[in-house]
Amino acid sequence: MNFEIALLSALVPEGRVFGLDLQTLISIGIMLFNVLVLSAVLGFILYEPVKEFMAKRSDRISGQLDDAREKMAEAESLKAEYEKRLAEIDVERIKILESARKTASERSRNIVDEARHEAATIRRHTQEGVIAERERLKEETRLYIIELSSLMAGKFVEHSIDAETQDRLFDETMAQLEEARWLS
Amino acid sequence: MDFNIDNLWVLEIAGVEIWITRTIVNTWIIMLLLSALAIFVRIKLKSFKEIPKGFQNAVEAVVETFDNFVKNSGGEKLMPLGKWFFTVFVFIFSSSISGVFGLRPPTADWATTFALAFATFILIHSMGVKYRKTEYLKGFFEPHPIFFPLNFIGELATPISLSFRLFGNVLAGLILMTLYYSLVPLVLQLGIPAVLHGYFDLLMGAIQTYIFGVLSIMFIRGAAE
Repeated sequence: MNFEIALLSALVPEGRVFGLDLQTLISIGIMLFNVLVLSAVLGFILYEPVKEFMAKRSDRISGQLDDAREKMAEAESLKAEYEKRLAEIDVERIKILESARKTASERSRNIVDEARHEAATIRRHTQEGVIAERERLKEETRLYIIELSSLMAGKFVEHSIDAETQDRLFDETMAQLEEARWLS
Repeated sequence: MDFNIDNLWVLEIAGVEIWITRTIVNTWIIMLLLSALAIFVRIKLKSFKEIPKGFQNAVEAVVETFDNFVKNSGGEKLMPLGKWFFTVFVFIFSSSISGVFGLRPPTADWATTFALAFATFILIHSMGVKYRKTEYLKGFFEPHPIFFPLNFIGELATPISLSFRLFGNVLAGLILMTLYYSLVPLVLQLGIPAVLHGYFDLLMGAIQTYIFGVLSIMFIRGAAE
């Protein structure tokens, strides 16, 4: 088969608007080929690379959003943990304060009790001292009265009664004194 | 100025005459410009920042909007065809706006629109067989095997209707613009055509691009699900 290509410039036919013949079929074939070539050029040079660029950017942004979401969740978890810890610390603080208050209260009660006890002891000792002093004064007064009575009685007896009466009275008085002592 | 598809050269390859039409040459020009733009974006992509601004923002907005459009209209199954639909959208729209720059829109040639519709036709059936297998093929014989010819013709009608819808709309715009330039005096050819180009090339071009794209996606999705 002869595949010779020739430009037949002398045989260029008249133009037309529409025709249904072999030339139209050839034109359809050429145009189909042209559009396929254009599709390959536009698709692979423009459309796909731009789409790929946009898809990559979209993935990148999506990744960043996911990352931010993860970090947010992590931060939320940390916040919750810290809040929990703070709550625990608060409870612990309240416990410590309560314990300290209790200890202080017990201690103050002990101190007050001790002070009361001490005061009671002091009061008791004082009362005992007062009683002892009173007894001592009473004894001293009694002895003084006895001495004074004896002295007065001696003076009176010296002037008014004889020796016999004096002895009898002395004995009676002594007896009474003895009795009084025993009674007191 | 006429609205014919001129033949610029005639090649003879292996004894077969091949007409190199204005449509083919204009398509090559558009392909070159779009390829240059793609290479420029590819080079700029290296310096794209994490937070888009200016040109990067525009490129990302186009690709993202288109990606979402394919996802919403075609579902996850058609996502691998994203770059094909992207090309179809960009090519049809670029062809439409090429009229503004004095080029004859390649989509004003039925060969171009049928080539695009034929690609959709191939995708419809390949996706149907890929995702639904024999169940899809059984659909041609329902509700009764006698309906197979009707179903078959109905399937053939899809690329024909798709191609003629786009071709007719773009050609109509081109004819109207050609008539305007041919009929009005020179003074009316300043300023006013901008509005007409805005309507026929930009607005209608965008609408027809959208219709062709959405219909293609819907047909393919219908076969795949």
